[in-house]
Amino acid sequence: MIEDEPDVIRAVAMFLREAGYSVDTAENGEDGLFKAVAWDYDVILLDVMLPKRDGWSVLEELRRQKKSTPVLMLTARDDVKDRVRGLDIGADDYLVKPFELTELVARIRALIRRSAGKAQSLIEIGAVSIDTTARTVSVDGNNVALTAKEYCLLEFLAIHRGELVTRTKIYDHLFDEYDSSLSNLVDVYVSNIRRKVGRELITTRRGMGYIIEG
Amino acid sequence: MFKSLRWRLQVWHAVVLLTVLSSFGAIVHRLHWQTRLQQIDAELHRTINLVYSQRFRLLPRPVRRPRRVDTPNETEAARTEQTAAGNTNAAPAPIPTEGEGEKSRPQFETNVRMARDQSQLPVEFDQLFHGEEDSRFYFVIWGKNGEMLQRSDLAPSIEYPNVHVLADGVPLRIPRDRKDKYLCREVVAAFPIPRMPGDKSPTSDLNILVGRSLEKDLAAQNQSGLLLALTGLVILAAGVLGGGWLAARAIRSIDAMTGAAEAISAQNLSQRINVKELDSELGKLAKVLNQTFDRLQSAFERQSQFTADASHELRTPLSVIATHTELALSRSRSNEDYRAALETCQRASQRMRSLIDALLLLARFEAGTSLLKHERVDIAALVQDCVELVEPLATNKSLSINCRVVPCQVKGDWDRLAQVVTNLLTNAIRYNADGGKIEATTRIERDRVVISVRDTGVGIAAAELPRIFDRFYQVDKVRGQAEGSCGLGLAICKTIVESHGGSISASSQPGVGTTMEVRLLLADATPVFEGAASSGELLVSTWEANEV
Repeated sequence: MIEDEPDVIRAVAMFLREAGYSVDTAENGEDGLFKAVAWDYDVILLDVMLPKRDGWSVLEELRRQKKSTPVLMLTARDDVKDRVRGLDIGADDYLVKPFELTELVARIRALIRRSAGKAQSLIEIGAVSIDTTARTVSVDGNNVALTAKEYCLLEFLAIHRGELVTRTKIYDHLFDEYDSSLSNLVDVYVSNIRRKVGRELITTRRGMGYIIEG
Repeated sequence: MFKSLRWRLQVWHAVVLLTVLSSFGAIVHRLHWQTRLQQIDAELHRTINLVYSQRFRLLPRPVRRPRRVDTPNETEAARTEQTAAGNTNAAPAPIPTEGEGEKSRPQFETNVRMARDQSQLPVEFDQLFHGEEDSRFYFVIWGKNGEMLQRSDLAPSIEYPNVHVLADGVPLRIPRDRKDKYLCREVVAAFPIPRMPGDKSPTSDLNILVGRSLEKDLAAQNQSGLLLALTGLVILAAGVLGGGWLAARAIRSIDAMTGAAEAISAQNLSQRINVKELDSELGKLAKVLNQTFDRLQSAFERQSQFTADASHELRTPLSVIATHTELALSRSRSNEDYRAALETCQRASQRMRSLIDALLLLARFEAGTSLLKHERVDIAALVQDCVELVEPLATNKSLSINCRVVPCQVKGDWDRLAQVVTNLLTNAIRYNADGGKIEATTRIERDRVVISVRDTGVGIAAAELPRIFDRFYQVDKVRGQAEGSCGLGLAICKTIVESHGGSISASSQPGVGTTMEVRLLLADATPVFEGAASSGELLVSTWEANEV
């Protein structure tokens, strides 16, 4: 999240973390651009009026460097011209301040889904079905209780099913910049999911990562 | 349609053209006719002389000398002529004797001879009076007493005209319009009847009238008049068409300008009228219009920029409140969390309140409804008060404030003027380097007091200097926002100072510091310490704040 108003950052980041997302923050355009280029985020929340480098120029530079990370622009300017400009440069969505946090989260979910090429909010793999809106998982119709991190990992693999997902990618997805967890936590989460949902769902590619066969 | 400039131009053009052409045509027509008449008159004069000479050359020697007229000259002339013409029939007439003359007889003789001699007239002469019907001449000859002596075949019956001989041989012209048959031009002249040499009898006169029909000339004249009128009409048509074309051409550029001006609306102020000919009247108009549009556009842009900025500044604290309340209410939280959320909301609402106050103040000044007090304000005390007020802020940044003031009074609102000075001082503290200096001084310049606030901060680039009094303009957005400034402070200062009839100015040297100066009119007409204060020698009060 790239935003210059510390109070807003605090609230949004906290809400998103409580919703199970990992959030990195930047308070100016330069820092934001650096992080956005250095890591692969699922979504970038970008304010327009930023010190050092405004949101538009961050977005332009990002797209120039062939980063296709979905970008949701947040701004206090509701001029149609501004909105059109942002979308034309390469923003994927637009939200005018002040916004409802629940709407922001819904839009983030939709962006993640779309960027993975899935329009449905319900993912079904054999007997396992994942509701990305309610953030619940059920096997043969019976709800399975997963922790937030476990759910995130399962959803991430499910959204990218058929693709090999590396351990590094999973780690980046699960933890934010301030997390100092060990990378073998990923293995722990995977084994927990296997125990709760079923052994066959996630396949291990030794030395490379994990995959849910599509 | 008929109210349009183009049609009015057309009509006026046509009317003027018609007047000029018709008066010109009428003059030409008339001059032409007069010239023609002069020619005819000359012809008639020639003819009348011809008739006279021919007649009297042909006159036979009268059998008896007429009572008044005959002269030897005439007889001789007549004789020679007869010989020359080869008229052998005519016997030499005896020289008329004195006293033999009878009135009727010689007349009769003459007539007979004349009639007989008609056949021997020269061919040209004959043709002159027997030519084409409408162009030939006619003549009538009367004796002195009005008895008709002779007339040509086609001569109309004309009464003896009342002719007076002005002098010998000078023809007297009487133009006649004969209504009964046709228009004629006639000339009458009196001639002496030739006498024998030595004849001492009083001269007797012959009156000869020569006329000519004007029918053919009138027809020609009418024809030429018609031609003239047709030419005039053609020229008029060409003139009107040409004028219309010119008017259309002139109007076209105006129409184009109108179109361009119509296309320029509030939504699309960036267009300009295409000025092709800069020096023409229309070019100048277009230039003036373009300049107006420039000003309008910049005003609109400033306005929309102001609205966008104001909405941005208002939405930011609003979104802080919205997100924090939603976050706090999304699940049950600890007391500390609620407290933190409420504190954040309080800060945001305070920020909104100060912003709204600033906007309202500006709006009031703009609408002219601000209720400024008009009291005597002691500027020295005011500056000292303000310096004391900001002292804690300066202490935090280890800044020293040096205050030197001269006592003087202006008329105005203490609170508002204090707001200005405080704002300038706050800026000087905010943008100063740690451990820097601030000088707050007042001095008198003629009828004004100058309040000057100088800092040793980063300074402002020359390009940005003119914009610092603009609303929401911030040279350094990060620092400004971090310090809780919304970019309205200097705009408010400017508004307040200007509503006091004063002026505010800024000068800066990047890296060295900035000086802000406020000039206000003194309350008294004659300043108290003019000379001394302007030289800077008389420092009534020196006040050192916050020695570090």
